[in-house]
Amino acid sequence: MALDFSIILRFQDALLLGLWTTVKLTLVCIVLGCSLGFFIGLARTSRSAILRAASSVYVEFFRGTPVLVQLFWIFFCLPLILGVELSNLTSGVIALTLYMGAITSETFRASLKSIGPEQLDACVALGLPRRVQVTNVILPQAVLRAVPTLLSNCVSLFKESALVSAVGMADLMFVGQNISNNTARPIEVLTVVALIYFVIAFPLTRAVTLVERRVLAKLAI
Amino acid sequence: MTMSFSAPLVKIQSLYKSYGPHIQVLKGLDIEMKPGERVVVIGPSGGGKSTLLRVMMGLEKIDSGSISFGGKPYISSEGADRKTEIDSEVRRSIGMVFQHYTLFPHLSVIQNLILAPCKVRGEAKASATKRAQALLERFGLGAKANAYPAQLSGGQKQRVAIARALMLDPKLMLFDEVTSALDPELVAEVEQVILQLAAQDMPMMIVTHDMWFAKNIASRVIFCAGGVVVEDGPPEQVLGAPKEERTREFIDRVFHIRH
Ligand SMILES: Nc1ncnc2c1ncn2[C@@H]1O[C@H](COP(=O)(O)OP(=O)(O)OP(=O)(O)O)[C@@H](O)[C@H]1O
Ligand SMILES: [Mg+2]
Repeated sequence: MALDFSIILRFQDALLLGLWTTVKLTLVCIVLGCSLGFFIGLARTSRSAILRAASSVYVEFFRGTPVLVQLFWIFFCLPLILGVELSNLTSGVIALTLYMGAITSETFRASLKSIGPEQLDACVALGLPRRVQVTNVILPQAVLRAVPTLLSNCVSLFKESALVSAVGMADLMFVGQNISNNTARPIEVLTVVALIYFVIAFPLTRAVTLVERRVLAKLAI
Repeated sequence: MTMSFSAPLVKIQSLYKSYGPHIQVLKGLDIEMKPGERVVVIGPSGGGKSTLLRVMMGLEKIDSGSISFGGKPYISSEGADRKTEIDSEVRRSIGMVFQHYTLFPHLSVIQNLILAPCKVRGEAKASATKRAQALLERFGLGAKANAYPAQLSGGQKQRVAIARALMLDPKLMLFDEVTSALDPELVAEVEQVILQLAAQDMPMMIVTHDMWFAKNIASRVIFCAGGVVVEDGPPEQVLGAPKEERTREFIDRVFHIRH
């Protein structure tokens, strides 16, 4: 079987457009998902039993079911229940945000737990209002300590985002699949698609180690 | 704040504090502290010294009793609902330094110092930074303004913690064994800073196991055990010639020497 990778060049623009969609989708869901995850992380360490219970149900449910099922459920079932049409973009964003929220909340929970109670004592002794305690003491430390794991979470999200092709969103995976079907050249096309994912994800994975060392040195933990 | 000289700065009245149903720590504590006094609190481990200071700082709920500062009750639990009421305006006049390092690790030394003045009192950053720099110079830390806590020695961290508390111009400082986590050679530099404050008549309440320090800083010593004040008097008496048998035993055992 003769492999002809030059075929990729013909579809370069389409692939790049798909990649751009994947990157945009990932970035949007990183921002939304991390924000959600931070508050869920707070809720899971909250003193209120109701908040704790509600948030852990959410997290356990989304961590314990396949993302593909979540996505299909949001795309096919939610519109029936709500009586509104959801575009594949909207359902993709909702599904990936909820997924990202669930996994990053665990990351934030761990980093919040690693902030000792003496930090809060210091806040109270300095008379810092609750708002300042959160924004200037707890949040920055939680984020700093979470950064290495958050980066891994982002890599996972980037890879999982390929699932949105299943509801017809024209991301890198979707475009790749189409080209591969139309040209009957799955080996060349899908190999290149895999390589593109890898070339972006791999440096991020390595960055985790680097950032980890830096952060640990700064906070001396 | 205007008050006659003899009016107490701090008045603690029948203070009860427990952790859960089984650990009763403070059992009716009464302490009066006059302005300008430097009270050293000594007592056996687990006797409730840290608890007392934490309660005064508003870090712990109480079961019953009250504490006033400058004549104003600011912590109380009197009502039927037994809820601890804390007047945070009054509490702001009190600063505290802890045994364990409590600097904010993600902020530089200078940022640690100016956070509360800027956020609590709305002081301009430039003016807070100027005051902070001056304070650091005074404590021999001028060169460390931009260092992070992780880059400091234990003694330096505690001096920064003291400076941070002083940024809010407290009218009373609480020190809870601030040198006991330090290597022996670093203890003196921290104690010197506290002695410096004492020379400026800063009222303070100090928990320490350091006999030399206690003698040099105290204008009054309180021996606390079993959740109550056992003996209360000038340092020569409580440390030197205690009247109570329990105080004598403790001093003999912990400090080994008695004068
Ligand atoms: N948060 C807490 N929860 C439950 N028990 C506590 C708590 N903090 C302190 N205790 C208990 O209360 C008692 C008094 O503790 P405290 O720390 O006030 O003693 P201390 O006099 O400062 O002792 P030390 O000299 O060892 O510092 C101890 O028996 C301690 O175990
Ligand atoms: Mg203690």
